[in-house]
Amino acid sequence: MTAERIYRLLLRAYPPDFRAEYGRDMELLFRDQCQESDVRTLGFWARVFWDVARSAPALRLEAWRKRGSENTQTVEAIMKIAGMLTVLLAAFVIVGAAGEWVAGSKGAMDGRYVLAVVLGVFASVLLLGAGVAILLGARWGRQPARLALFASLVSAVAARLLFPWMSIFSQLVGFGLPVALLIALYWPNKTSTFKAA
Amino acid sequence: MTTKRGAGRPPEAYLPLPPATFHILLALADGELHGYAIMKGVAARSAGTVRLGPGTLYGALKRLLETGLVEERGERADPERGDERRRYYRLTHLGLSVVRAEARRLDAMVRAARRKKLIGVRPA
Repeated sequence: MTAERIYRLLLRAYPPDFRAEYGRDMELLFRDQCQESDVRTLGFWARVFWDVARSAPALRLEAWRKRGSENTQTVEAIMKIAGMLTVLLAAFVIVGAAGEWVAGSKGAMDGRYVLAVVLGVFASVLLLGAGVAILLGARWGRQPARLALFASLVSAVAARLLFPWMSIFSQLVGFGLPVALLIALYWPNKTSTFKAA
Repeated sequence: MTTKRGAGRPPEAYLPLPPATFHILLALADGELHGYAIMKGVAARSAGTVRLGPGTLYGALKRLLETGLVEERGERADPERGDERRRYYRLTHLGLSVVRAEARRLDAMVRAARRKKLIGVRPA
């Protein structure tokens, strides 16, 4: 096996993108080195291996960090879309609760029913606030959004337990959305830049 | 294709430079060079104490290109080294400012060491 073949194998230690960009130049430089050094000596190969051992892990780490940074941008974009959807859905549920209130007010109203509707509206307002906090995440951080989502979930559960007035859609938004957003806000902690808190 | 980071930063913001990076910039202060010429220049200037292998050299060049301290000047053959086309690199204005700033920083440190008689005097 020639020295160049061995070096070509060693080049596999470098990230593929780096190899594609500089692999040929590195081979050429290695060939130049071979012409001016005795490739049969241990010292020559020790220097070659030391160079690879010193530079390849650092370049791998850089490539890995770069990919992480790209993922962070994706997560951030997804969270912005989730924030907008949350605001829209919460506003929709508030309108629905207002309609429910108007329809219910025509007959005699039970105290538990009134409290359940008020709690439902309160949960939706908190959800809307959480959506706004997610949209303004870079300025406010995660914590306000988390607190609003927790409070919204508790209010929605309390409203549902007090009186079963909510539609399937309102229940999905009231329970499912806060749980999903809380998972998203806790899960990608290390990769998202949505972390000013 | 590379993207330049940190545009608009003052030269001092890049300091201190890693020794290998400083040596590469110093070699490029002579003009456009290809990888092997940079490597030889560094070895000669440091009297063989700094030896850049291909991985260290091109890793550093990649970072220097990304930060805009160095730019590529196309490919051409070096008549002294055969027909193979080689990529040439040269300092940018920013690269020149940064290597000057680093040289000044090191010079100030050497002068401070001299004032304290740590160098430049014979040990008793």
